[in-house]
Amino acid sequence: MKKTLTINLAGLVFNIDEDAYYCLQDYLGKIKTYFSEEKEVNDIMHDIETRIAELLGEKITPTKQVVTLQDIEEIIKIMGEPHEFGDPDKEKKSTYYRTSTKRVYRDPDNRILGGVCGGLGAYMGVDPIIMRIIFIVIFFGFGAGLLIYLILWIIIPEAKTTAQKLEMRGEYVNVSNIGGFVREEFENLKNSFKGKKKS
Amino acid sequence: MNLENAKAQMRKGVLEFCILSILSRGDAYASDIIKKLKESELIVVEGTLYPLLSRQKNAGLLSYRWEESPQGPPRKYYALTDKGKEFLKELSSSWSELMDAVNSINNK
Repeated sequence: MKKTLTINLAGLVFNIDEDAYYCLQDYLGKIKTYFSEEKEVNDIMHDIETRIAELLGEKITPTKQVVTLQDIEEIIKIMGEPHEFGDPDKEKKSTYYRTSTKRVYRDPDNRILGGVCGGLGAYMGVDPIIMRIIFIVIFFGFGAGLLIYLILWIIIPEAKTTAQKLEMRGEYVNVSNIGGFVREEFENLKNSFKGKKKS
Repeated sequence: MNLENAKAQMRKGVLEFCILSILSRGDAYASDIIKKLKESELIVVEGTLYPLLSRQKNAGLLSYRWEESPQGPPRKYYALTDKGKEFLKELSSSWSELMDAVNSINNK
């Protein structure tokens, strides 16, 4: 048994499963963000919604009255994700953004003490272990390593939000990217749960 | 200079040309246009088309009218305006000039 919702898409009424509804809402949201700089964003959205309504209408029969998640996934495949729309002017903007936003953060997912080496590693694109070895060498060789580490710990902010974590890696922040990152984190979490269950 | 971007730029120009060309043979609604573009493998996903139609309409090349459809929501039928016809004529002639130029260079 599943809960369904009723939606109005371009003037047509559909009964839609709850999971399918969230999937569609997420998809339309992504498109709207993609076209947010466009003057006629509402027009484009309306055209796209009309087309989706038309495609959904073909999937509804007297014996299948509810729109399912599978229907929505098929439609997304036909309509395409925003990055597949192939608008070269938009691609240019995003690469410009990528180069301008890389920042140093402490990496909370890759920490032994404060995540300083993890963050510096992500920033410079080297393995955090190498950063740690450098710090240990400085500590024993010159005695200042610990002090430097503590100062960095204090002055470098921690990457708390997903956007900050993407900035730390130098990936540009947009909706589809955040979506992908969150999914990745979720998979990690799931795997670590599975690992704990086994052990 | 990356290949993907160069390809995308090329495809975008050709797409705009082809949309006008399809409409020059008669008014059509978005799904008709999509069908023809898909048949000739010019577009992969349908989302590509809508922003282009909207931009061409803003530029005064296209106009549209609503028509009831037997099933589904009312359809937006697009038509070329006079400005659009003029635009298409210019594009057609510069397209054949370009083709000749590229061919003559490639065959040398």
